[in-house]
Amino acid sequence: MNCLDFHREKLADPRRLSAAGRAHAQSCAACAAFARSVDDAENELERSLATPVPDGLADRVLLHAGGARRLTWRVWGLAAMLVLALALGLANREDPAEPAQEYARLAIEHVAMEPESLTTVRNADPAAFRSVIESFGGTLKAPLESIRYVRLCPLEEGMGWHVVFDTSEGLATLILVPDKPLRSTQTASTKGWSALVRPAGNGYYAIVTASSAATARVDRLMSERIDWKT
Amino acid sequence: MRISHDRASFEQAVRAYSADLFRYAHWLCRDRHLAEDVVQEAFARAWKSWPELRELAFAKAWLMKIVRNEYLRACSRKREEASDIDENDLPALPSFEAGLETAQLVGLLPETYREPLLLQVLGGFSCAEIAGIVGTSEGAVMTRLTRARQALRQHFTDSGRRRAAR
Repeated sequence: MNCLDFHREKLADPRRLSAAGRAHAQSCAACAAFARSVDDAENELERSLATPVPDGLADRVLLHAGGARRLTWRVWGLAAMLVLALALGLANREDPAEPAQEYARLAIEHVAMEPESLTTVRNADPAAFRSVIESFGGTLKAPLESIRYVRLCPLEEGMGWHVVFDTSEGLATLILVPDKPLRSTQTASTKGWSALVRPAGNGYYAIVTASSAATARVDRLMSERIDWKT
Repeated sequence: MRISHDRASFEQAVRAYSADLFRYAHWLCRDRHLAEDVVQEAFARAWKSWPELRELAFAKAWLMKIVRNEYLRACSRKREEASDIDENDLPALPSFEAGLETAQLVGLLPETYREPLLLQVLGGFSCAEIAGIVGTSEGAVMTRLTRARQALRQHFTDSGRRRAAR
């Protein structure tokens, strides 16, 4: 094997050198150095491509494949609420205390971890949003600006609806967490985001925007346009 | 190893391979939501055809192929054909993007080069196995992989020179 053949072989499959390739690298210092640089680049490539996998992917795949049809967001909602009710029922028996900003901080974490929610349009259907609000124990009196994104997401404490809509203040995120009792309003500001969490409907909602003033204005908008069952 | 065609073996495959399949789909689509949809549809199809899988050792390559087909179906667009690309030339990467990271550069590679690279790095497949998945010759795969890595190396070398010259 000559140096050119070695380079070709190493670049085509860095992890599987032939016996002839390994022997060549042992006898050629330049090719050994080349192989090390390719291996370094390969390690970096592997690290770079190891994108995070969505939580619960395997479970959703099994549900979907088992049902042999696509689950609609309504079915996901029912399934999530059942799981959430069970999980939170157990959790609440043990620790009824809620840290002062816990849920507001969690909401910001969730937005920070899902940046594509602010750059993509998904299920931007006002009717779907209206149904989500109704399933959450609310009545939409007037549309909420322009809905861009509606998705059922795994959250720290279960599942919840992640909604993004346009407002005059810029993009606003609304997270609806069902069946989670909350005694009082919470606020938090961190990482350039401001969150407000308020008990509502069947659980609580969180509003996350880029400033506390915008969050407060979106909260007012919510109270003007949605009636929550008490 | 011969596998039993039951739900347990399917679940084992889902838990073992769904992460790799998602990453493969993600770097093909460059959209996390579409990637998840593609993986879900691919596994749904795989479950229907599960009895056709003869050996567990072939499951990963078989599933990758289904994901690839599902991605093509989802995109529903004309792909670049290998014949459209002169494989004697390095794939072009934008020279002005000196600050781009490795993953972003992979995203900029033409699909003909990106796909075998993803299968090898994420799936750990050999050139022969990749040839079977994408339906081309082993020699063509070797050429594409060599060119893809040369393009990435060239980009980083040029970027380093530009930074040094400033």
